[in-house]
Amino acid sequence: MMKNRILLVYLASLGGILAWLGAIVLAPYLRSRGNPLGKFLYFCFSPVCHQIPGRSFSTFGYPMAVCARCLGIYSGFLAGMGFYPLLRGFAELRLPKMKIFLAFSLPIVADTAGNLLGLWASTNVLRLATGILWGAVLPFYFVTGLAELASRAKKRIE
Amino acid sequence: MNGQKPNVFMPALIGGAVAGILSGIPLVNCLCCLWIIGGAILASYLAAKDSPVSLKAGDGAVIGAFAGIFAAFVRVFMSLPFRATELALFRKIMERLSEYVPETPAEWKDMFSFGSGPISLAGLLLGLFLSAAIFAILGALGGIIGMALFGKKPAPPGEGTKIETPQDPGHRQS
Repeated sequence: MMKNRILLVYLASLGGILAWLGAIVLAPYLRSRGNPLGKFLYFCFSPVCHQIPGRSFSTFGYPMAVCARCLGIYSGFLAGMGFYPLLRGFAELRLPKMKIFLAFSLPIVADTAGNLLGLWASTNVLRLATGILWGAVLPFYFVTGLAELASRAKKRIE
Repeated sequence: MNGQKPNVFMPALIGGAVAGILSGIPLVNCLCCLWIIGGAILASYLAAKDSPVSLKAGDGAVIGAFAGIFAAFVRVFMSLPFRATELALFRKIMERLSEYVPETPAEWKDMFSFGSGPISLAGLLLGLFLSAAIFAILGALGGIIGMALFGKKPAPPGEGTKIETPQDPGHRQS
């Protein structure tokens, strides 16, 4: 039963992140075609990203709907989802060790702090890379936490 | 929830308020979704600190999701007074970008124009609904991370074990 629940949360999260990344690329495509839905998609992403064009990658002649760092985080999340079945499987719920989270977080924290303090100006490729690294560890928390919550809710119903 | 329900409301309110304020201020909001995740981690920390028992990842998801929803409300109302500043700032960025990148398409300037006109109630509610939905998911993630970092309480000492660490005020040792 637990295996099914973890698998269900995993598949829902996988579908969600694929749709999310698809929308990030779809926004500039629709905008380039003059479709008003493109503007709406940019609006949808505006609460979660500053969307500064100079800090974003461009495609179809327009910047993507989120900045390079956010794109990295979401792409890393998708990559982490790919590794989840290999590293964790669906048999048990286990969170990563704290030192793993800290190791994956250090580059993005250092890069962001360096930029904010004016110590250096990162390129979009570096922002993307640090975002991917951090994003890759996130599914191991997200899937585990939601599966644990779902399992508890199921027990309460029973 | 280990038999005892953690206090969800206040930690979520504080974490959500911090995340909403920081993500609503122009320039400071350049950390994007990290403020929401950070606010939810703070909410989890506060809940874990006040809880007498260990909290699980699922507790963190609930606390973080509430913190995300609170953050959406705070952010929407915070961004109203900063709206003109933010639009002016964005226009300035676009002008600077055109100076450095001559081939910047002219259409980029009106690229984000959806929702940049006069604020309507429908637009405000749509923005609030979208923010609440997205922030709840990001908050749940932050809450789970927070609970993984701070949720575990040290096991109660067995008989004869000497306690060397000081106890929080209000925690009585028998």
